Amino acid sequence: MPPRLRKFVLTAHVTSSVGWLGAVVVFLALSIVGLTSQDAQAVRGAYLVMEPAAWFVLVPLAFASLLTGLVQSLGTTWGLFRHFWVLFKLLIAAFATIVLLIYMETFRFLAGVAADPSADLRMVRNASPGLHAALALLVLLVATVLAVYKPRGMTPYGRRKQDEQRRALLQSKQDEQGTNAS
Amino acid sequence: MTDPPPYPNAGDDASTPRWVKVFGIIALVVFLLLVILLLTKGPGGHGPGRHLPSGGAIGDTLPSSVVTEIHTPPGNDLGGHAPPNGGHG
Repeated sequence: MPPRLRKFVLTAHVTSSVGWLGAVVVFLALSIVGLTSQDAQAVRGAYLVMEPAAWFVLVPLAFASLLTGLVQSLGTTWGLFRHFWVLFKLLIAAFATIVLLIYMETFRFLAGVAADPSADLRMVRNASPGLHAALALLVLLVATVLAVYKPRGMTPYGRRKQDEQRRALLQSKQDEQGTNAS
Repeated sequence: MTDPPPYPNAGDDASTPRWVKVFGIIALVVFLLLVILLLTKGPGGHGPGRHLPSGGAIGDTLPSSVVTEIHTPPGNDLGGHAPPNGGHG
């Protein structure tokens, strides 16, 4: 990948990943408002806004983070399956995105309850979004730490690829020396 | 994931690092917990109805419009988070 394109994809990846993390923090705050506020409108509003906010912010950021991460890893020497930290990040992003998509149905349900004026406020309050937001925050923080620290460790596939590259390099050097000697 | 690998000789170390083993064990435990959760709660155990406040049957506590919604399959199919075919898996 050309350096300028690499920098562009990197910027997009960092922005979307950190943005996703920040959006999850906002959902955690909304959940706390929904659970603790004494203002009925604020409680209903918190659960009503979760569904559109998730569709317009969480889902696009999750896909942007996943896709830019794929492009970034496949377009550089890191590869997608060569280093454990890259592999773990991929699994975390894929897992979190799938759970988010499944959870959208719950957001829709909670918004439906909040929008119903006959529903008691105790019915509207729900701890589930807060629990899921806290768990999402945890796994996304782990992914961020992996991205920053890049801990050592190559997968068996990565080691095999590296050995192949070394052998090819050695062979080309030997060929070059043989050509010079003759 | 941007700069060239800072440890070019990483391939010399053939053993799997300890942090990978720890991560693997944690991931396995979380996966097993999810499977157990789904098995014990049933295939629809993680639908929206599961997130209702405890106490009383659904029909006793929720407005009829919401009860209808719970028992109606969702219009968009995003992985079955609604009973009876919902779940996180």
